[in-house]
Amino acid sequence: MDRPIFHFALAVLVALLLPFFIRSGTLATEVLVFAIAAAGCNLLLGYTGLLSFGQGIFFGLGSYTLGLALIHTTLPLLPTLVLAMIVGSVVAIVIGALSIRRQGVYFVMLTLAFAQLFYFLAYTFSDITGGDNGLIGIPRRGIGPLALNSSWSYYGFVAVIFLISFAALQRIATSTFGRTLLAIRYNGERAQAIGFPVRAFKIAAFAVSGAVTGLAGALHALLIGIAPLSDIDYHTSESILVMTIIGGTGNLFGSVLGAAFYVIVSDTLSAIWPRWLLLLGALLVVLALYVQKGIWGVIESAARAVRGRRGGPSAMKADSAGSQR
Amino acid sequence: MIYLFQLMNGIGLGMLYFLLAVGLSVIFGLLHFVNFAHGAFYLLGAYLCYALLQYGVGFWGALVLAAIIVAAIAAVVETGLLKRIYRLDHMYHIVATIGLALMIQEIVIIVWGPVGSSVPAPKALTGAIMLGHFIYPEYRLFVIGFTAVLAAILWWVLEGTRLGAVVRAGSESTDMVSLLGYDINRINTAVFALGAGLAGLAGALAAPIRGVDPFMGVEALAVAFVVVVIGGMGSYTGALIAGLLVGIVQSLMTTLWPAGASLAIYIAMVLVVLVMPRGLLGRA
Amino acid sequence: MHRRRFLQLSSIASAALAAPPILRAARAADDTITVAAPVPMSGAFAANGKYGSMGTAMAVADAGSMLGKKLSYLEIDTEGRPATAVRKIQEAMEQKKVQLFAGGILSSSALAMGEEVNKHHGVFFTTAGADEITGSKCNKSTFRWSVPTYGAINETVRPLIEKMPKAKRWYTITPKYVFGEGLLNAAKDVFKEKGVELVGNSYHSLDEKEFSGYITNAVAAQPDVLLILNFGSQSSATLRQAVNFGLKSKMTILLAWASGLEQFEELGADVSDGIYFGAQYWHQIDSPFNKQLVAEVKKEKGINPNYSFAGAYLMAKLLADGAKKAGSADGPAVIKALEGMEYDGLTGKETIRAADHQVIKNYYLLKGKAKAAMKDKDDYADIISSGQSFLSPQDAKCKMT
Repeated sequence: MDRPIFHFALAVLVALLLPFFIRSGTLATEVLVFAIAAAGCNLLLGYTGLLSFGQGIFFGLGSYTLGLALIHTTLPLLPTLVLAMIVGSVVAIVIGALSIRRQGVYFVMLTLAFAQLFYFLAYTFSDITGGDNGLIGIPRRGIGPLALNSSWSYYGFVAVIFLISFAALQRIATSTFGRTLLAIRYNGERAQAIGFPVRAFKIAAFAVSGAVTGLAGALHALLIGIAPLSDIDYHTSESILVMTIIGGTGNLFGSVLGAAFYVIVSDTLSAIWPRWLLLLGALLVVLALYVQKGIWGVIESAARAVRGRRGGPSAMKADSAGSQR
Repeated sequence: MIYLFQLMNGIGLGMLYFLLAVGLSVIFGLLHFVNFAHGAFYLLGAYLCYALLQYGVGFWGALVLAAIIVAAIAAVVETGLLKRIYRLDHMYHIVATIGLALMIQEIVIIVWGPVGSSVPAPKALTGAIMLGHFIYPEYRLFVIGFTAVLAAILWWVLEGTRLGAVVRAGSESTDMVSLLGYDINRINTAVFALGAGLAGLAGALAAPIRGVDPFMGVEALAVAFVVVVIGGMGSYTGALIAGLLVGIVQSLMTTLWPAGASLAIYIAMVLVVLVMPRGLLGRA
Repeated sequence: MHRRRFLQLSSIASAALAAPPILRAARAADDTITVAAPVPMSGAFAANGKYGSMGTAMAVADAGSMLGKKLSYLEIDTEGRPATAVRKIQEAMEQKKVQLFAGGILSSSALAMGEEVNKHHGVFFTTAGADEITGSKCNKSTFRWSVPTYGAINETVRPLIEKMPKAKRWYTITPKYVFGEGLLNAAKDVFKEKGVELVGNSYHSLDEKEFSGYITNAVAAQPDVLLILNFGSQSSATLRQAVNFGLKSKMTILLAWASGLEQFEELGADVSDGIYFGAQYWHQIDSPFNKQLVAEVKKEKGINPNYSFAGAYLMAKLLADGAKKAGSADGPAVIKALEGMEYDGLTGKETIRAADHQVIKNYYLLKGKAKAAMKDKDDYADIISSGQSFLSPQDAKCKMT
């Protein structure tokens, strides 16, 4: 249950099966886009123990970067995506470096303040960002001879990028770097005392998270053909966090589940009842009370129950459910 | 001259922000709990005041009742729900209270509909008085006076009474307080209810000024966070000073740089957290 | 007990993931034509969305069937976010083969939706206000029923100036973004022409709720008229606060871009009494089509139609009529049929201008009444004047390819 290769196989399974469960290519793509963003958020939350309300900043900036590049320049698609990752990463480094000067709740509040700050900046500099209207008319350029115009061809493209990003994040998470992040999360002072440059590691985590989230934002803008102001607003930051937590912060695949659940359920519910947010709210409360390990935790427990095993390697794993403060 | 007026107007705004934020600050101080549902209590207070007025309850009654009902609801929520997650990571506090806030907002829409409404100020306070060249609504003056009195009472409760001492001690060490024989659970509930009740009162007071609508909780939460962070989490005086500061900055900005009011406030928030680790006057 | 609970939860989870195709079994059958209403049903603009959806639904029900197929209605919750709106439009057009859309209340969503519908050659009829919709960002698929900034100003500011020739000093409160600028510039042009002095302007941000500072600035400038150029909940807040500050007795107040009945209900007669409002629609308009609609809505729903409702109803009807005229529900055919169409609309005779797809219709100047003068619970205002003022498509910067 715990081996990264197994999780990657699950990720591949999800990417392959989504088209069968979801008839809309657009919705399926949105699931994967937010899966990438949630995994990036999880690197900070589940692995480094940093609850960042600023993911929307990187998402939105990635979105604007792609929009500006594709509307105003002739930069091909792949370099544009790389550019979005760079922008996301650089901004994340700056914000991360500043935010980690404070711990605990103050860190959270600081990222929240930055998120609001960037939102108002994006709104104010409307000449660049299109302000309230956002950037519209983003052309969906292909890659060389490969056209991405239909929603399923774009889905295929995003699926490939999703799998590559997921694998990359896994490599990072399971590497020495990743394990150091975990050590920092559990006992930062001890890690510092041993001699790890804790600050540098945290900033590096931000850099990776920012890059991945920027990529997700860029893919999102390309999906809907616009870079809206809402991609950089508080609600986006909040949603990404919620998806990450719903899925279970224990491992990266949990984030994929969380994103899938959130995107699909909100889409389904909103078609049934305008007051669907009530149900979402109730779900969050139930999750905080009873299902702290998230969807992945549920599946894990179910699998364990089925197998009749108890405890095992998962007891050592990086998850925060029910942990004493 | 206009700046003097904006200053006074800012104080009026600031007092309301203080009332809204002090509950959040105290809740954090004692419970170390980040309450993302705080704006929802403000929302409830405003709507309850509106509903009570519709039913013919007098303004004073509506004000007091709204605050009490919100406090009662908060007490129930605290004992039934939040108590169970205090020991968990902050992440779950945030998720639970975000969920709660959503539920409250949607319930408000179900009960009162998505369209907002004006709320009439009490007959005695519907006029405006002249201050030199400037007009100022009587109701806003009342709000300044009323919240000042409330602030004084609150100060007395926190500094002068046993409950206040226990609360202040509790924010230093909950074990100590339990050892001294106080039921920390009851105190937690009381403090949470008090904080929420104050937010509800702020909402009820604000209703005649800005009307009611189901989404007023979201903006209230943002303001509350800014004030609490700048003032320092857990600090009463911090909330007061920061509330006034934010209100005054906001008011002055309307003459100096209107588009930049929100920007300035968030820049200030970032700077304060970076430069002053605990806000102006806060404890950790 | 843990195991059972978790197994239950996980089976619910997997059922939820598998549910979408089951729930989505309601795919458009080949014997129906769907008119979709992409409106905010949740989120901050849920109030407008609710009535917009109702209006479209009623229009579809009234039309019943056409071209041998049943007309059906699809509600799409945009949640007030352009990203969600565009995604759901994409889905509707690809999965359910929907071609006809009547909605888009918020300008940001409407612009984005218009682009998306245009990509897939559908038809998108909207009431959103941004000039660009039939101006610099006009496209083949987008049609707009509401009057943009030029008309809104010319049919309110101009008649008011003519009514009050001695009121030479005007003060404006403007939201700082493209739409607000549009209203302000149009107003400035009228001021210049009529020799009115703009004694001051206060810009404010789109999130502003606290207008006391701006009102104070306005009072200090001692204008004869306060022209409020924001809209929605901001305009309600500005108006409420202006009234609280006693401005009614000091100057005339004009709210150029009001929402109509919804706003009056929210404000209450005590606030709106004596204030001038600009409106796209008023249920008391004396036109045969409007009288018919009002009677029907009164009978079926027991209410008077507000702007969101009436606009949505008419737009859906126009889509249906366009399809009927074209003999097909195909996007390009309906577009051709709609261009240049003249019909009996809510405001009297209306025309859909072919060059920019803007509907030429009246804009109204209303004046709020005192509670005592109201003949029924919705009789908040009287129509003072109305007229049609529009920029030419060239001046509006529309280049339809």
